Amino acid sequence: MLSDVLNPDLFASAIRMATPLALAAIGGTICERSGVVNIALEGMMLIGAFFGTAATLALQGTSVGPLGAVWIGLIAAVASGALFSLIHAFASIDLRMEQVVSGTALNILALGMTGFLMEAFYGHPGSTDAVRQTLPQVFNFPAAAANAGILGTIWTWINTLLFSYTPIAYMAIAIAIIGQWALYNTRWGVRLRALGEHPRAADTVGINVRRGRYAAVVISGALGGLAGANLALEQVGTFTENMSNGRGFIALAANIFGRWTPVGSYLASLLFGFTDALQIKFQLVSSTIKVPPQLFLMLPYVLTVVVLAGVMGRAVAPAAVGKPYEKE
Amino acid sequence: MASRPDNGDQRDWVGIAIKALSPVVSVILAVLISSVIILAFGKDPVAAFSALIQGSFGSMNYLGETFLSAVPLMFTGLAVAYGFRSGLFNIGAEGQLFMGGLAGAFLGVIMGGMSAFIAVPTILIAGAAAGAAWAFIPAILKAKVGAHEVITTMMFSYIARYFVSWMVTGPLKAPGPIPQTNLIGAGAVLPKIAAVFPALQMGRAHMGLLIAVGCAVLMWFILKYTTTGYESRAVGFNPLAAQTGGVSIAATTVKALCISGALAGLAGVVEVMGVQGRIFDTFSSGFGFTGIAVALLAKNNPIAVIPAAILFGALSAGSSLMQLEANVSLKVVSIIQALIIFFVATEPFVSDWILKRRREAATHAE
Repeated sequence: MLSDVLNPDLFASAIRMATPLALAAIGGTICERSGVVNIALEGMMLIGAFFGTAATLALQGTSVGPLGAVWIGLIAAVASGALFSLIHAFASIDLRMEQVVSGTALNILALGMTGFLMEAFYGHPGSTDAVRQTLPQVFNFPAAAANAGILGTIWTWINTLLFSYTPIAYMAIAIAIIGQWALYNTRWGVRLRALGEHPRAADTVGINVRRGRYAAVVISGALGGLAGANLALEQVGTFTENMSNGRGFIALAANIFGRWTPVGSYLASLLFGFTDALQIKFQLVSSTIKVPPQLFLMLPYVLTVVVLAGVMGRAVAPAAVGKPYEKE
Repeated sequence: MASRPDNGDQRDWVGIAIKALSPVVSVILAVLISSVIILAFGKDPVAAFSALIQGSFGSMNYLGETFLSAVPLMFTGLAVAYGFRSGLFNIGAEGQLFMGGLAGAFLGVIMGGMSAFIAVPTILIAGAAAGAAWAFIPAILKAKVGAHEVITTMMFSYIARYFVSWMVTGPLKAPGPIPQTNLIGAGAVLPKIAAVFPALQMGRAHMGLLIAVGCAVLMWFILKYTTTGYESRAVGFNPLAAQTGGVSIAATTVKALCISGALAGLAGVVEVMGVQGRIFDTFSSGFGFTGIAVALLAKNNPIAVIPAAILFGALSAGSSLMQLEANVSLKVVSIIQALIIFFVATEPFVSDWILKRRREAATHAE
């Protein structure tokens, strides 16, 4: 019974579930560090998931083959997320629109647009056709032989925990580490932080506030798109309506819990991912332990509130976040 | 150039004109852009929008459907608007609506046998209370530790959805294969408009419309004439100044978000009592989120929420005929909604820009 839940698969599943959250959370980190709130990560994920799937479906029958198509799909997801985020950048930086309002409009637009295009392209509501090939697992080491004893168990844990993932899961880890390093050790990072803390001072020393914020919003859109690619092209294999299911908002909480740092965002996402993984495992056994599955489905959302409640007041947001900057 | 004072009168007049016209212009722009989208997919936008208008205002029956869809949007629009007036973004009205609906469905069965004079007001109050209670925890978290209500109310929305899903598949499930609650009793049903005013044969439209309009007027009154409303607006306008003036930000925040939640809860309970008679998983077609668009279009003015909700109600009521006759997907309506929000929200920028141009023109003329 316990081994049904507590096994290497649970932890590997946590990393898988954490991947889209982490990518979106790091996107939120970079965006907010520049002083722009992005609650449209939810919509950017949907856009990425949809266009990634659409590109894959369109190309899988051509000479690039199903595998080539799904890689191009990944690129399409990132590009479409970045393009879509330009609307948010324009609205919040140039038009100085209320940023949560622009984000809300984008979320509604993404939901409507993907639903509309899905019906127009594939003729049925709910979901697209399934892609022939999802992004494949990166490593494929042989499983331990059944009679390998303790060494076999150890190999199973290592193989599952380290080598059982699809490409975007590894990318997310790499992006977290590189992002963390870049935020504190590169000129880009110092400038980005200055934009979100004191844009006037940044402007005075010659940093282009507008360009810096545009770049940050577009990076967050690209990461949102990549998160969508993970959902559609690695986890599910098709685009389904509203498949982001609130992850963009959980990611924002993860960003706060991670204190506006990329590695922090990743680790916080891991906590949410673990809850999600646990929730899925529990659902499998929910009929035997007679607990309604919905109670488990609530867990990630409840945890998000608890974490926010616990961490707020101690976590300090970038000083100028949400405030449009006007050159004098 | 700086020596010349602004022409105050002229500026105010232009500013007011822009403010008043911006919702209308926004709607027109949104319709134009979505027409281009419809055209790009080889469909006929003129046929689509005439079917949409036909299907929403073309007959008394269609008008009834428009009002039917507008009622929950009035409540959620008021809910979001009240939050905005107090500086809070209640993005989770959807969840409060579900909890209000659940309370209504639960009590509607229990009290259904009683006289409507007792049952109806009691259940309405219970629905409002359930919505307020669902907003209470995010409100406290906002007031005490500063946890952002956009995230917490959104999370509470998902929790409410799963909670209702559990209730309708488990403890409150009606007999039969469909996950839903039992039908509420006759005493808990809001009468149809056609039954009360036989001259107005408006199909399924129910008296919830009057309650919604009444709430809009009440909210206008509260905001304008009561201390609660004054404090809400003060905190929404400038929290630090309000605090200096002796208003407790924390208490006002909690009160405002709970009032907002109560209005969203009313949306749910009225929908149960007037339309569905029960609650189930897919009970709301995103009324809470459309309420955001309604509030923004109405510029958070409670009276303006009424026509704004009717407009969105018409979009949703007419969209089925649009799909049927012009073969254009219902999803276009969400696109129109998003575009309207965008255009309305650009109003301050556009009016700044126009006023600046006018001032420059005036200085040059001198």
